[in-house]
Amino acid sequence: MLHLEQVTKIFNKGKPNEVVAVRDVSLEIPRGSLSVLKGPSGSGKTSLLGLMGCMSRPTAGRIVVGERDVAKLPERFLTEVRRKTFGFIFQHFHLIAGISVLENVMLPLYPTQMPLGEIRRRAEGVVDDLGLSARKHFAVQGLSGGEQQRVAIGRALINDCEVVLADEPTAHLDTTLSEELIGILRRLHGEGKTVVIATHDPLVYDRAFVQQVIEMRDGRIVPA
Amino acid sequence: MSKHLKILEFVLSSLLRRKFKNLGIVAVFSFVVFILASILFLTHAFKAESLAILEGAPELIVHKIAGGRHDLTALRYGDEIAGIPGVGRVLPRYWGYYYDVSTGANYTIMGATGSPRSTLQLVRGAFIEAGQRGVCVLGQGVAEARLTGLNGIVPIMGANGELYRFQVVGVFTDPSTLLTNDLMLIAPEDIREIFDIRPDMATDIVVQVFNPSEVANVAKKIKYRFPELRPITRTEILRTYETLFSWRSGLVILTFVGALVAFGILAWDKATGLSAEEKKEIGILKAIGWETSDILALKFWEGAVLSLVSFLTGLIAAYLHVFFFGASVFAPALKGWSVIFPEFRLRPTIDPYQIFVLIFLTVLPYIAATIVPSWKTAITDPDIVMRG
Repeated sequence: MLHLEQVTKIFNKGKPNEVVAVRDVSLEIPRGSLSVLKGPSGSGKTSLLGLMGCMSRPTAGRIVVGERDVAKLPERFLTEVRRKTFGFIFQHFHLIAGISVLENVMLPLYPTQMPLGEIRRRAEGVVDDLGLSARKHFAVQGLSGGEQQRVAIGRALINDCEVVLADEPTAHLDTTLSEELIGILRRLHGEGKTVVIATHDPLVYDRAFVQQVIEMRDGRIVPA
Repeated sequence: MSKHLKILEFVLSSLLRRKFKNLGIVAVFSFVVFILASILFLTHAFKAESLAILEGAPELIVHKIAGGRHDLTALRYGDEIAGIPGVGRVLPRYWGYYYDVSTGANYTIMGATGSPRSTLQLVRGAFIEAGQRGVCVLGQGVAEARLTGLNGIVPIMGANGELYRFQVVGVFTDPSTLLTNDLMLIAPEDIREIFDIRPDMATDIVVQVFNPSEVANVAKKIKYRFPELRPITRTEILRTYETLFSWRSGLVILTFVGALVAFGILAWDKATGLSAEEKKEIGILKAIGWETSDILALKFWEGAVLSLVSFLTGLIAAYLHVFFFGASVFAPALKGWSVIFPEFRLRPTIDPYQIFVLIFLTVLPYIAATIVPSWKTAITDPDIVMRG
């Protein structure tokens, strides 16, 4: 599903604050797999996840999504790949404050050709599945951390993505909520989605259902 | 289209999220539009009134200058002017300003039988007929100030200290209130008596010129032949009005330069950067699949909604202020001390060109100021934007 070949990402290249976030990384994420990127803070997990999800372009190397080399795609096509293929769950949720749960979940589909009524119906379905029906008209900033994380998951799932990318999804959750979240990610995997989780939480990576653990340190993959 | 409607729906809920900030912007923006629109409306209305006054006015009038001041003009000048080639009829005019102690108002009293201009009409009653004495036709302002109407009596103090009583036989209406509002028509014989004008004199002389393009030449000839006379063409008066009101409106705009600067700072603040929160939101929207063009559409609608709401609020407030409340804020500066008393109400007239100018000066810069910084953020990779 995802193929990375000698990928390097340098932020602020050529400037005094230049940072090499990912160095010469090659890896393969099979379709329908559940993989974990593990490593300490600053090891390059989030940057690599961003590169996989077309959130940024590599400074060097190739990234193939499905059959398509996306490393040099024009911005417009890259956005299309991002919208149709990936669903993101961010460490800090990154919800839009001030609007409701339902509106946050609907956001990815606003710029599509789908009618508003259909978007609303689909979002309500997702919100119901995640147990947030009673809160669907609440402004998101009033929700608990666990609920906000579920809204973020709902937003990631609304476009029926093939790949779910989760960045430190348990970082702000207690053990119970973390288990609940892991359950949701396992369910998505069970439904055939490819799931990639960046984490340094053993509650996530030390689990039998994880099919592939990729360890990172200083922007490189640590050989197994 | 459906995509833009959805984005617009998001824009509306988005604007409500920051309602206090946006209300602040609307208030400042509306105030600026209100000031500019009030000044433009008022200036335009005055100019329109001025044009209406001059419609049907004589192409050329001549009066005597004595030591630089307006003096009565001897009728013999009329006979001599009539001999200039190209000159048609030459008619004396009798008029003067009258200060009415009881109302504290200045009227213009004019001696004329029939309608002094083809454009003037009466609401009710009739014009003065030749030979009819002791009657008058009043402008609405004078009638209101004197609390009188048809068949009422208007007393006027003559130059000899005697009180003359005039019965109202007609009240003016007119497309231009400015033209007749302070006017009182009486018989030429009556005005000569009141103002003590000798039979061989007139206030000024109206000169009819056969070919309108020869008016300036005839004026030059009169000036050359009679240096003590001052010929005034209609074009000169029109130019004076135009310059006067444009100059005054410029002056008023200058006094509100502070508000305009505040608006400029607001637009500049928007144009030079987005807040960290706004940048993060653009990054989120990009990350979840919004294209750069979608972000620009979002920001365009955001700017358009805010600026159009502000623009319409300011415009409607200015319209009500100028045409229903007598432009109480700016009228004293724009009218000047010499202009018309009793009060009159301006006729609502709007020049579409002015609306275009206002939009060009306010709405377009604001929308541009909203879009440009968003575009700079939207073309950056979402990963970088969200990291801040």
